[in-house]
Amino acid sequence: MGVLDGIAQGFAVALDPVNILYVFIGVLIGTVIGVLPGLGPTATIALLLPLTYEIEPHTAVILLAGIYYGSMYGGTITSVLLRLPGEAASVVTTFDGYEMAKQGRAGPALGIAAIGSFVGGVLSVVGLALLAPPLAALAVSFGPPEYVALTVLGILLITYLGTGSAVKSLCMAALGLLLATVGQDPIAGTTRFTFGQVALFDGLDFVAVAMGLFGVGEILHSLERTEKAQAVARRIKGIWPSRADMRDSAGAIGRGSVLGFLIGVLPGGGGVVSSLASYALEKRRAKDPSRFGRGAIEGVAGPETANNASSTSAFIPLLTLGIPANVVLALIFGALLIHGVTPGPQLIDQHPEIFWGVIASMFVGNLMLLALNIPLVGVFVQILRVRAGILSAFALLVTMAGVFSINNDATDMWVVLAFGLLGWLMKKTGFEPGPLVLAFVLGPVLERAFRQSMLISGGSLSVFVTRPISGGLLAATVLVVVISVVTARRRARVLHRHDELTPAEGER
Amino acid sequence: MNRLRTAAALAAALLLAACGGPGSAESADEYPSDQIRLIVPYTAGGPTDIAARALGRYMEGALGQTVVVENLPGASGSTAYQELLSAEPDGYTLSMSALPTAVLNYLTNDVGYTRDSFAPVGVITQVPSALVVPASSPYQDLEALFAAARSDPALVSVGTPGATNTHAAETRRITQLYDVPLTVVPFNGAQEVFAALLGGNIVAGFVNASQDLMPLLESGQLRVLAVGTEERLSYLDAPTFVEHGYPEITQSTTTFGVVAPAGTPQPVIAKLEETMRAASADPETRRGLDERYVPEQFLGSADLAALFAETEQTFQGVASGG
Repeated sequence: MGVLDGIAQGFAVALDPVNILYVFIGVLIGTVIGVLPGLGPTATIALLLPLTYEIEPHTAVILLAGIYYGSMYGGTITSVLLRLPGEAASVVTTFDGYEMAKQGRAGPALGIAAIGSFVGGVLSVVGLALLAPPLAALAVSFGPPEYVALTVLGILLITYLGTGSAVKSLCMAALGLLLATVGQDPIAGTTRFTFGQVALFDGLDFVAVAMGLFGVGEILHSLERTEKAQAVARRIKGIWPSRADMRDSAGAIGRGSVLGFLIGVLPGGGGVVSSLASYALEKRRAKDPSRFGRGAIEGVAGPETANNASSTSAFIPLLTLGIPANVVLALIFGALLIHGVTPGPQLIDQHPEIFWGVIASMFVGNLMLLALNIPLVGVFVQILRVRAGILSAFALLVTMAGVFSINNDATDMWVVLAFGLLGWLMKKTGFEPGPLVLAFVLGPVLERAFRQSMLISGGSLSVFVTRPISGGLLAATVLVVVISVVTARRRARVLHRHDELTPAEGER
Repeated sequence: MNRLRTAAALAAALLLAACGGPGSAESADEYPSDQIRLIVPYTAGGPTDIAARALGRYMEGALGQTVVVENLPGASGSTAYQELLSAEPDGYTLSMSALPTAVLNYLTNDVGYTRDSFAPVGVITQVPSALVVPASSPYQDLEALFAAARSDPALVSVGTPGATNTHAAETRRITQLYDVPLTVVPFNGAQEVFAALLGGNIVAGFVNASQDLMPLLESGQLRVLAVGTEERLSYLDAPTFVEHGYPEITQSTTTFGVVAPAGTPQPVIAKLEETMRAASADPETRRGLDERYVPEQFLGSADLAALFAETEQTFQGVASGG
């Protein structure tokens, strides 16, 4: 069957009234859970999965996929308004999104995120329809050594993110890697740093750590401020992105789509790395990189586009090889198994209605999300009018409830509070939580892949440079380090000459 | 003073018994008079979840009470087992269990329970395991692979779906018992093993022959070199390890069963066991469980208890890696 026939069949499936209803329910649920801090797509899909046992398999996947990419849209809203990232991929959005909100530009931040997500989602759907089989081969060619190279590059990019010093960012990244070692050893299976607590066997929960460091830390910090007016409550200027905003973001959205689509195909960490890479790329390209972290709209547009594009391309390994790229897709895989459909190489031939129907439904779903989100931006922005004390208390309550709901475990609530305290102390001392949280996400991938590589190669480190992809990625890593050192020297010299060296910039 | 303390202890014990829920006072005839909680130690959508829901549906019809299937994943199942053991032993809280993982958990780490903490009810499904290689692999049979491993001890890497699961432990047993040097490379789930096999990053994989493996075999991307059962399987065209002269390598089959907390009254266990026996004969439930994996002869409480003991004996000493 040709691609065009497939797409036609896909739309016939996706435009069936029942399926349209399920797409709508999916993206609506996705948006809502994305907005509620702590509740993520994984927990929601796990909860709703049993309900899909009774409906048609393609309808079930259409619904669950809608929840997944819908939550990517929704997660932006809390990241921008309350600095509460519910997903690893939206951590990057808080850097400039929350700063924009503080400057009264929450509307444009949310608007550009919705537009970017739409463009990224749609371009990624087109790519999924045209390029799925060759990209599946790329995903499989990534073995442990390639993951080591990719995560090393990712961790290096992390240190680019902050507005503060690179040394402080590196310290935080190291702390994140250390925290990632809590739990069962991925190779030997013994437990580390768990203090005998079974609740810690699987390590610290990402959502609890991120919510604590970002959200609760910010709440504590804002309570401490004596001035009555909270920064965010400043008058809201304009709901829509201006023409200048659109012009500034167009390139970022285009590049974010491509990056997100390509990196999103890789199982494990694809989504996070794509939003990181997009942010680093935009900051690198910017004429004035110091705007980043202080409310640059490209810093929201690029990563948001990339993370939505990656959530679509993540379906490629599942639909073409039967290999789920992350936990959410593993749940969707399970949903198909229950229906007696086993995703694998023959899925396109044996169940074209699922493959093409899901692709077409994603197009429909993205359109719905754009229509749903643009008017909602105006509504959500009004949240900032709520008095800071009430808003903080409410955000804390919802966060605690959300975090508890992930594993039904009270331990996670203590984790949130402990990391909230840490986040507050970090804020006071000029350390940023971003590098810590992102290194925490990439750490387990790095560790497992490194030790697998060592087992496969018999302990020889040459495996990382003799394989073309990992060698290339590591070369890129070295190149990035060299370029940044050279440019930092040059900039420092220029600034020194002008005698306006600021310490924060000088160290970059 | 002492007498007072005894009285207080007695009163406390009585109070505890009174709070014990409907199970402690009623006879087996009345059981169940309330809804039953069936804990699944793994995520929704996995093989254990699918089995639990098929069984739960049958139990609801047969026992006339709601069966709430609850997923409580984490720590290779230990989170769920701890939750089970903190409940009253009255038959209203049950858990799915997977052998040998449940045993390997407490052999590897201190998880707060052992074999004696459970009252086994019965077996629902048994999923055998298979040693697979990519289609392009130069090794046409098990002997060729093991000969290569003997000539170059660092050559043959075997991907397993986890670090402490049955496949990792069984691969180490092959090395220990038959002196075949194999390198265990633990992955996070069978799908990652498949990806590494397709990409040629590992030489072989030792995984469950469950539904997710079948399409890769049917499309010819992976080949089975041997299966880990005593007898050949009807649905997989491959010899057993036993045929190849490795009679000990029959311990890797995963047994999915139902357990209750130790101390659950015997009549309650017996009633649940009867329900499970009937379920595994019911055509609709068998379809839901996938008929290939339902044991031909129903394995009840005593059989599952024996399996627990046998597993513990087999894997003592090889459980953890190194």
